[in-house]
Amino acid sequence: MTLRRRLTPYAFLAPALILLGVFVFYPIAAVIYYSLTDYDIVTPPVFIGLANFARLLDDDVLRLALLHSFVYLLVTPILIALSIALAIVVNRKLRGIHVYRALYFVPAVSGSIAIGLTWRWLFDRSGFINSVLVSWGVIHEPIQWLATPSLVLPLAMMLTIWAGIGYYSVIFLAGLQNVPEELYDAARIDGCNDLQKHWYVSIPALRPQIVFVGVISSLAALKVFDEIYVLTGRTGGILNSGVTMVFYLWQQAFERSNAGYASAIAIVLLLVTLGFSIVNVRLLERGESTAR
Amino acid sequence: MDTKKSKGHLGLLLGVLFVISACSAQSPSTAPSSAPSAAPSTEASASASTAAESAAPTALAADPAEAVIKDIEPGASISVWTFWLSPTFDKWIGDTISRFKETYPGVEVKWEDHQATFQDDLKNAFAAGNAPDVINLSVGEGWVSDYATRNLLLPLDSVSQDVKSSYFEGLWKSQNVAGKNYQFPFYQGVSVELINKRFFEAAGLDPAAFPKSVEELPALCKTLKEKASVVCDLRLTVNDLLAQMVYEGNVKVLSDDGTAFTFDSPEGVAWLQMYADMVKDGTVDNTALTTKDDRTGLLIFSAGQAPFYQTGPNLIREVKANNAQLYGDLAVVPAPVGKSGVIGKGLMGMSVNAKTKYPNASMALAQFFTNARTLTELSKQSAVYPSSAKAFDDPYFSSTSPLIEDSARGSAEAAISKYADIVPTIPNKGDVNAVVLSAVEKALFGNVPVQQALTDAVTEANKLLD
Repeated sequence: MTLRRRLTPYAFLAPALILLGVFVFYPIAAVIYYSLTDYDIVTPPVFIGLANFARLLDDDVLRLALLHSFVYLLVTPILIALSIALAIVVNRKLRGIHVYRALYFVPAVSGSIAIGLTWRWLFDRSGFINSVLVSWGVIHEPIQWLATPSLVLPLAMMLTIWAGIGYYSVIFLAGLQNVPEELYDAARIDGCNDLQKHWYVSIPALRPQIVFVGVISSLAALKVFDEIYVLTGRTGGILNSGVTMVFYLWQQAFERSNAGYASAIAIVLLLVTLGFSIVNVRLLERGESTAR
Repeated sequence: MDTKKSKGHLGLLLGVLFVISACSAQSPSTAPSSAPSAAPSTEASASASTAAESAAPTALAADPAEAVIKDIEPGASISVWTFWLSPTFDKWIGDTISRFKETYPGVEVKWEDHQATFQDDLKNAFAAGNAPDVINLSVGEGWVSDYATRNLLLPLDSVSQDVKSSYFEGLWKSQNVAGKNYQFPFYQGVSVELINKRFFEAAGLDPAAFPKSVEELPALCKTLKEKASVVCDLRLTVNDLLAQMVYEGNVKVLSDDGTAFTFDSPEGVAWLQMYADMVKDGTVDNTALTTKDDRTGLLIFSAGQAPFYQTGPNLIREVKANNAQLYGDLAVVPAPVGKSGVIGKGLMGMSVNAKTKYPNASMALAQFFTNARTLTELSKQSAVYPSSAKAFDDPYFSSTSPLIEDSARGSAEAAISKYADIVPTIPNKGDVNAVVLSAVEKALFGNVPVQQALTDAVTEANKLLD
């Protein structure tokens, strides 16, 4: 084989490798380096060894951020359940059903900042939610939703669920449309009602989609930022009630100019996400082998 | 047929998306605002209502007497960044730069205005080594000392005594680090309280009897809640809580030798207890109290949902633009003073990059933007004020105006001449502030006793001094 033929595949790979190198591998290497320095962005970094990692161990806010990130994973099963339910509902041959499918998908194509701002106005002290509740007599005084520490994270999770249902339901809808109608006929003949039909036919048939959605939505939940940023007005919530890993990383890097420490947090986030991905992939592989 | 239906539905979806995009694009300016939280807001934009003053002012002629900085480097080419002055003041800036070039021939000037991302842009520019030569920095938010402590700014004490003494002394000494000054005082603001007269009438209160001191505010807020069913729109300066403690509570935050924090004193406890009591009584909007965005409170007030709001009179035009009806119900009174007795500190400064290739030309430009003549012209276009006594000799400042935006004009000199920066330079300010903020939030919302919260914060903050 001539040299030219041997080098040709690498020439085709080169553009992608260069892009990956510049935008993925170099930044990762830079973050690892900066995590070993005291770096405030504006002045050159000063090597301090593992001091940033030692600081991580004593950081209560980081522990809280980790906890919040793991709590945020609860959106995944809720999203899966609601998305499947929605997909089942819209998987019908009804007049105008395409309009409903399109409308449910609108949040997925709306900007996360626009959605976040809209929810912030809704839950503002003088917002729509309080207005309705006060006018119906459910409450006598407006609730300060976003200034109540125990409500910030649940509201952010609700926003994520609301914004994601349409997107994930499309994935499940595609899966449902591949389920042979004969299976539903057989279930009906066996005496299943509608709920049992979906439990014993639809959901097992959607297993690959469920695993896929589970993986991507849980990774997205671990990396949540936009919702917290907008809902809390860049503060992370009173008493850090909404601070998650990525938000805390941003806060350290860009608000407090502790880019070195933020890089150490990024390493922790990388390891957590990597661990999670490995677990998810193992589950996926196990699921596929069981199916075979 | 199905294909045609699908295309029709796709068209409908696209139409919906366009509408939503348009609505999103028109959302109010709640994009992260770097506009400093100092009571006089920093967005010095022209008041549309001051039509007479802002009607295309003619450019000033160059005056050789304005060339007060000597030994300008020949062929100097310098850059200047302003903070949120464009597009409203494009002409003023352009005229000023043209006049500067006539006064100091041979110097080229490149101007950029940065807004919401100013701090990020500046930090990136410093990191990349291409930061501007002259920089408009907020004194009120402590940006000058932030950059000065990292040796990024040029000390300006080498200028002549005539130049130094042309500014109010308190302003010249603002944000000094280790006794050195790093900014030419730029435009200044005057704190006022905008009052929504409807709430005061409902509560049977006279706006003219608005509290003169900060410690009287809790009682006022209680009355407003009981009688007018409205909560107060107060704000903690969450980016610089120690400064607020000093001005409002006359709290000594750092020991004289700088080795220990002392904000858990009885004065510090009294200051924080005041806010804790208001939160417990439900007389304040908790979101506005703890927001980072100083525009949040203004928006709440402009929507007619707050009884009063502390800001600079230059932002009254925002109230008018958002709610013309409220504009008609506005009263303006002086802002209350804290226990320190000091009304406030400087608002904006012009600093010089420590690594500029043209230090004299850069100092000349920074000084030129801040001299009496230049800032008097700016004052005629917006309710902000100059930094030097000589500027106030202009008849403009003793003239009266029927507009509520100009209500502080007559008292501006007296207020600004007393401005002083009484806050010590705080090492690791960002991290220390985070510790203090955590303590404040625990005391306000976490049921932790105020004394305990502050003492714990002092212990933690002292570790940052090591």
